[in-house]
Amino acid sequence: MQSKPIALKILDVVSIIVLAISTYLALFFAPTELVMGQVQRVFYFHIGTAWVGMLGFIIAAVSGVAYLITKDMRWDRFEVAAVEVSTVFFFLTIVLGSIWARPAWNTWWTWDPRLTTAAVTELIYIAYFMLRQGIDDPEKRARFGAVYTLLGGVSAPITFMVIRLFRTIHPVIVGAANANQEKMSMNGDMKIAFFFALFAFTVIFVDLIWHRIRLGSLEDKVEQLKLKVSM
Amino acid sequence: MENTPDTSTYMIAGFAVSFITMGIYIVSLYIRSLNLKRDIETLESMQDEKPKSQK
Amino acid sequence: MTNKMQNEEGRMQNTDSIHPSSFITHPSLLKATFAIVQKDLAAEFRSFELVSAMLVFSLLVIIIFNFALELDVKVRQSVTAGVLWTTFAFAGTLGLNRSMATEKDRGCMDGLLLAPVDRSAIYFGKAISNLAFMLIVEAIVLPVYSVLYNVNLFRLDLIGIILLGSIGYVAVGTLLSAMSVQTRTREVLLPILLFPVAIPVLLAAVKASNGLLTGAEFAEVLIPLNILIVYDVVFIAVAFMVFDFVVEE
Repeated sequence: MQSKPIALKILDVVSIIVLAISTYLALFFAPTELVMGQVQRVFYFHIGTAWVGMLGFIIAAVSGVAYLITKDMRWDRFEVAAVEVSTVFFFLTIVLGSIWARPAWNTWWTWDPRLTTAAVTELIYIAYFMLRQGIDDPEKRARFGAVYTLLGGVSAPITFMVIRLFRTIHPVIVGAANANQEKMSMNGDMKIAFFFALFAFTVIFVDLIWHRIRLGSLEDKVEQLKLKVSM
Repeated sequence: MENTPDTSTYMIAGFAVSFITMGIYIVSLYIRSLNLKRDIETLESMQDEKPKSQK
Repeated sequence: MTNKMQNEEGRMQNTDSIHPSSFITHPSLLKATFAIVQKDLAAEFRSFELVSAMLVFSLLVIIIFNFALELDVKVRQSVTAGVLWTTFAFAGTLGLNRSMATEKDRGCMDGLLLAPVDRSAIYFGKAISNLAFMLIVEAIVLPVYSVLYNVNLFRLDLIGIILLGSIGYVAVGTLLSAMSVQTRTREVLLPILLFPVAIPVLLAAVKASNGLLTGAEFAEVLIPLNILIVYDVVFIAVAFMVFDFVVEE
């Protein structure tokens, strides 16, 4: 593998800087939320990671389709990178949501549509990696992976829809708290922290995907060398 | 203002989890790429040796 | 390099073999589908291997639920739909796994792939026979459950919901079982792949059945019913489109 391209090095540095700024904005710049207190500061990272996790899911489904059409291994590497990075971020989203829900709603977990869909999506990601692990042939692995991300990409929005529709008919105990949170008004400084977090996590996401793609091409190289040596 | 609960422990836990998780992932990427590079080196040396031993 | 060339060749052969007959694809697709269904059903009715396994399994699950949930009269009302669908889902994976595995183990899959039929005929054929197995099991489980727990499950609307739910479940399940059977972990993998993707259909089916059994308003049943139909249509279409990629060699 060639040494790191300069653009990637720059992106690394930029990622660290935006993460630092975003942390500062979330921790010190944004005012304390009155109802929920300090824990509300977790919200900025929660939204940032959720956005990136969703973005990765869409990217994965799209590159899955692109792989099936073009049969170009680069799309497969892109897809794996998107899924893996999203798995990490979605895990964070769920944990942060849980940490936030505990003091705000007095429960670690609610079967709210967003939380549940996030959890189901995370399970789809994990199933995706288990599927890939069980296949030796790289070409077949890529094909099956692409098909599965496509299925997941179609199923996840329906899951969200299903749970939301049912919740609107059957209001649950946390419904009130939920509505409160929906109304959570953001003042100017909060909005700055909010949008900067979205931006920061997008940059970090791109940086990590890039690294994961490079790792993927290393993996492919090892696989090819192994084939050559064993022949 | 008077009834704002003190939830800073949760906040600290949240940020700690965020940084630890991202840190672990970056370390895992680094370790995996190191291992793969080492694999490539051994495999390439094996490949170099192989033609000689066959001849 | 060579891989790419082979791929290219494969694709060319593929189009060559399909192209001349493409104008008669339609009747032959139907015929091929039914031939596969016929083959599966004939094999099944000779031994009842699959259906009997699914059936015994379902009954065991219901018995376990009985003790796990303490199904007394009050609880029964609200959990019947959940118990039924959990049973169907578990028994379904059992059947899906077995039906694809026999195909693979006896080398029938290769035979089917070599046969000059459209690949989608294989998908529809397998899906229809899987659906048939599931419906047979459901047709026996429903009266048994009705007798055991003294609830009347023989209602046309409930049967309709069960049919729609099973169609959606089998549509995805057939595709995923064709995938999981080709992996190293095989049987273990199918439920892990299938359940997260099938959650919408299972949820909607449970909600709709529950609504019917508890005598809810029609509007409340209508929403999950719509979702069931949407899910069925979308996933049959998607599975039909991508099945080629799953069986491709």
